[in-house]
Amino acid sequence: MERTAAKGVLSHLCLLEVQARSRRNQTQQQQQSRVKELKAQLEALIVRKERLKAEIQAHKELQKLRLSMDKQNAPEEDENMDDDSENSTLLRTMARHTQLKDLLYAHHLIGGYDIIRIRQGKGVCVSITTAYEAIYLDTYNLEINLKPKVRINRHNIPPFIPLNVLAEQTNVERDINGFLDTVTQHLNAFAGRKQQLKLVKEQHKSVEVMESNVLCSILVLLFTVPREKTAVLCTLEYNDHTRCLPTRVLFESEDKQLPDSPQWKKNCNLLMETPVHRALLIMRKAGNIV
Amino acid sequence: MDVSTKCLLQRLIRRIPSHMLKTTLDQWSRLTAAQIQSVDFTESKRTLTEKLLAICEENECSVSQIAELEMIHMIENPNVGMWYAFQLLEPQDDACTLELIQFKEQFKSHLHQLLRSVSIKIKRHTDDAVWIRIAWGDGISRPNHLKPTYVVHYLQTSYVFVTSVTSKLKPLLSQALVLSTKHHGIKDANLSGRNLMAIRDLLMNQYQQVFPSKYPSLLAEENQTVSNPRIEKEQAQMAADRHKMACEAFGDGTLPQLQSAVYKLETKFKDPTNKTMTDREGTFKCVVKFASTNILESLRHCASSGIASIPVAPLLSSVTLKARNRFVITDSDPGPSSQIHQAQNNLTTDS
Repeated sequence: MERTAAKGVLSHLCLLEVQARSRRNQTQQQQQSRVKELKAQLEALIVRKERLKAEIQAHKELQKLRLSMDKQNAPEEDENMDDDSENSTLLRTMARHTQLKDLLYAHHLIGGYDIIRIRQGKGVCVSITTAYEAIYLDTYNLEINLKPKVRINRHNIPPFIPLNVLAEQTNVERDINGFLDTVTQHLNAFAGRKQQLKLVKEQHKSVEVMESNVLCSILVLLFTVPREKTAVLCTLEYNDHTRCLPTRVLFESEDKQLPDSPQWKKNCNLLMETPVHRALLIMRKAGNIV
Repeated sequence: MDVSTKCLLQRLIRRIPSHMLKTTLDQWSRLTAAQIQSVDFTESKRTLTEKLLAICEENECSVSQIAELEMIHMIENPNVGMWYAFQLLEPQDDACTLELIQFKEQFKSHLHQLLRSVSIKIKRHTDDAVWIRIAWGDGISRPNHLKPTYVVHYLQTSYVFVTSVTSKLKPLLSQALVLSTKHHGIKDANLSGRNLMAIRDLLMNQYQQVFPSKYPSLLAEENQTVSNPRIEKEQAQMAADRHKMACEAFGDGTLPQLQSAVYKLETKFKDPTNKTMTDREGTFKCVVKFASTNILESLRHCASSGIASIPVAPLLSSVTLKARNRFVITDSDPGPSSQIHQAQNNLTTDS
């Protein structure tokens, strides 16, 4: 301001004019570079649009292929493919891949075992889930070496499930599926029996558990008959380790005639055919036990 | 009560910590409620010992009952002294249907047949473990209750855990165990520790193992500590990989507490810079012992922090894989199955 006062209004006006002119030039330059930028972006977006269009097209065709594959349950020649043969085989392989992935996921959801490759294909790790009465229980894992020989490496399966014996019996080297199915059966049955014991302890506090073991293959319960207050000792033997139901039910009581009475013979059959926690509920409702 | 019984009771009461004394005595249920009320458990150990001694004299407690009290205390507090694991071999066909009562009778009768003067107590614990307390005596003298042996066995598994037993009496105990559990043999599982639950968990695969999985379970989310977002770890991926491999080798979370890992080496010395040792004939015998309050945690930390190389050496991961902590290492000529074969000898003076 002092300068203008010193030089005068005219010189200030000159200064302003110079500034305005330079700004106009600058704007033009800026505008040009901005236009260039926007044009480049436009090109990139067009390329992207084309690519996305191609992807959508491929997915649509994949869907069509999958539908036809799922219906026939086998890959087959699709005569309606107009594309060149390379493209169609690629799409078919992709469709088969997604089909298999979905199958594996479905297998996982229904509680079947999962299997993944480890050590670059020299071994597999199998995850076996156990469930009982629609509740997921523990998951067990097995690492199996496939090369040079089929051998079980490490696992977290409890030692009373005889893995080595089962491996020999089902000939694991030739039929690994059979072996895994047997192990799954044993584990699920064990988890089921363990869960039944847990439910008996939780839901039936008036029934005393006299004996059980880690494999849950034997269960001795003490019932009390209402009114007379007689004690009945019930032994459940689960000798078939692939099942959740007992193979033998025995009653013992001070009242010698009680086990032979028709009511208790019915209870015997009930315990052979129904899981123990539900059988106890029925027996309690019928007034047989406290 | 005679002198030896009094002595036993005195030692026992001194061993039980004051805060556990009342609950243990309640469980024993040999003293009346009034008697227990009359004791002030906050007094000094000496006064407590005298009072309880007097009460037990009143009740005329026998040696057997005092042995029961000791057993109750031991079951609650098993981490005193060393436990050794054994494995039963070759089960007979009906071994898996063995019942508790059958086992009790058989064991008692077999051991009595082998040694007339023994005092045996068998008790079943809530976790399905069978506890056996054995007081040994000679042919002539009465059983010595001051040095009992405790045995823990889970029916339908092939593992037996034993506290100290002299080498003279070990074969008798082994035979009684083998016959009563319907097996054909027994062998040393080469696993020992002060913590009974730890060696049990290791043998029965009851610790948290880590396996590679396609669908990591939702509940197993890692606790990502929210650290300063401006700090970035340079080798975060490598550290995460190392941690994962360490956990796969040793387990996740709290690990069973083992106190030592012992490697006995019987190999040829091979060090090109040390001609005197290399030229010696015969095997080079050496024992390497790793000791720690929790050896598995230490090994896992070594692996995840990079002190031990990754992938974890089989010598170290065998502790958890084979559930043993005593190894004998020989050269690569074939040996019995209880030894680890080492294809290359990596013996230097540093190890």
